[in-house]
Amino acid sequence: MNAIMALATKDLRLLIRDKAGFFFTFFFPLLYAVFFGAIFSGPGTSATGMKIVVVDEDGTEGSKKFIRELNDSPELDVEVADRQAATDRVRRGQRVGYVVLPKGFGKARGRVFGGERVKIETGVDPARKAEAGMLQGILTKYMYQGIQDAFANPDKMREQVNESLVEVQNAQDMDPAAKATLQWFLPMIDRFMRELPTGQSANRGWQTFDLESKDVVVQRGGPKNSYEISFPQGIIWGVMGCAAGFGISLVDERTKGTLVRLRIAPIGRMHILAGKALACLLTTIAAPVALLLLAVVAFGVRPDSWPLLGVAVVSVALCFVGIMMLLSVLGKTERSAAGIGWAVLIVMAMIGGGMIPLFVMPAWMQTMSHASPVKWSILAMEGAIWRNFSIAEMALPCGILLAVGAVCFAIGTHAFRWTVEG
Amino acid sequence: MILATMLQLTNVRKAFGPTVAVDGLSLSIRQGEVFGLLGPNGAGKTTTVNMAVGLLKPDQGTIELDGAGSPDRPDVRGKIGVATQALALYEDLTGDENLSFFGKLQGLTGRKLAERVAWALEFVALSDRRRDSVKTYSGGMKRRLNIAVAVIHDPPLLLLDEPTVGVDPQSRNAIFENILALRKQGRTVVYTTHYMEEAQRLCDRVGIIDHGRLLALDTVDRLITAHGGKSILLAERTSGEVRVETDNPLAELLRLQKEGPLQRFRVERPNLERVFLHLTGRELRDA
Repeated sequence: MNAIMALATKDLRLLIRDKAGFFFTFFFPLLYAVFFGAIFSGPGTSATGMKIVVVDEDGTEGSKKFIRELNDSPELDVEVADRQAATDRVRRGQRVGYVVLPKGFGKARGRVFGGERVKIETGVDPARKAEAGMLQGILTKYMYQGIQDAFANPDKMREQVNESLVEVQNAQDMDPAAKATLQWFLPMIDRFMRELPTGQSANRGWQTFDLESKDVVVQRGGPKNSYEISFPQGIIWGVMGCAAGFGISLVDERTKGTLVRLRIAPIGRMHILAGKALACLLTTIAAPVALLLLAVVAFGVRPDSWPLLGVAVVSVALCFVGIMMLLSVLGKTERSAAGIGWAVLIVMAMIGGGMIPLFVMPAWMQTMSHASPVKWSILAMEGAIWRNFSIAEMALPCGILLAVGAVCFAIGTHAFRWTVEG
Repeated sequence: MILATMLQLTNVRKAFGPTVAVDGLSLSIRQGEVFGLLGPNGAGKTTTVNMAVGLLKPDQGTIELDGAGSPDRPDVRGKIGVATQALALYEDLTGDENLSFFGKLQGLTGRKLAERVAWALEFVALSDRRRDSVKTYSGGMKRRLNIAVAVIHDPPLLLLDEPTVGVDPQSRNAIFENILALRKQGRTVVYTTHYMEEAQRLCDRVGIIDHGRLLALDTVDRLITAHGGKSILLAERTSGEVRVETDNPLAELLRLQKEGPLQRFRVERPNLERVFLHLTGRELRDA
């Protein structure tokens, strides 16, 4: 046991002094997790809305009120300018688009029954088509807000109804049947609004519902934030870095002659491999533990079950210790071992969800991912972090990982080249 | 006085595919001697060493160490210290850490380990560089540390495989001093080299091998007497150079002096190079 500990300590010491190896084991996974976590985290609380310019050619109280509503909205960041300045701001890419409120806008907004239509002009940076669609949706929403307000205010509604009735009576080119219908219908609405009970309920007008917004804490059924997805992925990269590094170090021992010295020592062959495996195991456990602690402390990751997460981390570590042993026999030299090893690992990561989450992959690729230990590693960790897996549900990914690790370790130790050239 | 046998190789054979590296080699290395295994590159020296330490299994024949058994067994290997031809060191560790690590593999712990590390560093004159990373060492310093690793557990048998390859003259002399000190301490040393002057300077007995076969084995003097031929006296006169092969250069020199004045002379004594030439028909360095 002392020999195994000595071998493991030596390898850990070498890892710490190998700056590149240390980086790929601990810092690259962190960068990966933080980078992708930040990308998929959405705008967040401090994010600003879409930046637009509004040109107010109407200049009425109604148009100014509309601009205030837009400015108060969480979706938009509004600046008011004249048409020329607005066009320039968009052309230079300083604003996503502009909105022109034409003359008559204030009066037309909130008018329910007829009247002259106004045309709201928008101009959007052609490179930002997606935002153009969003802008139209947001404008529509706030335009209808005006109509909703009218319906919610009986007095305002009656005023509009009477204005509309006068316009209908004066209209020369209206279809007589439609004219007759409106001359019957509009006074009925006026009467209905007049006879609504007074008081608080009266002010509700025709509004049929209230919307109340509350902050909802997600209890179950999904990740609590994007870092709960990105950290397991980042951890996998750290674990793969360990496996590659230790696999290559075994090849390095063989090519540089230190393996000969180890074999001459009065210890068995399995001691040598056990020492290497122990160092790899400790590192593949230490790297996820460090990253997970950081994820909890700094990135709001809250595992559903710490014990199951421990089981997942150990299963992943044991699996990749086996893979490390297999990688160590794939190349004769350090360079070939590194090349072949990383090629194998990257394919595993590609199809296993180590690069992009599995749920965004096409169905056939998700099926293919079953062949990758990376998929089961991520699933095991996610199971304990946010998928709320039961012990029985954890058994499948963890069992597969342990089986893969055992098979790879057996093949690797069997195929490891012990002989030296004469 | 008959010395006990430290390492016995009996009719050992090893082939790599069609290439026979060692062919029916029998050697008996005595306790306390420095034994030189002399031969050109590819003669089978390293294969012999690798079999002697249990790294390779002979296809045929037996190897036994100090009556304890085959070096296949880990406990038997503990009696051997090896300085391999390739520098088997961890360059990112310090000299101290390398020695501690290999000492632990040999079963040393605690105070004993610390004492042996200090002794080994002192032995190869690297105490002042003990905390430096090995990658900062010169080639000669690495060779010396390689020997220190071999002696860390105080083994009775040392196998030094070409320990002076690529070192500067100063480090080479330091290594020679180390080997002579080990002989003084009663250690048995098997020294493989293709430098005949090293074998001549250090070894009590020398075995000359080529193509995996033992061509001759004896003390250096006896080998030279048996296979080195006569000394050559080269004398220069105004009339020209005189070359005389002789067993007694001094008597021959006096004779030439009586015949006429000599401007200068030189005696070429027979050496292992000439022994090798005689045995194989080839120069050692060109073989």
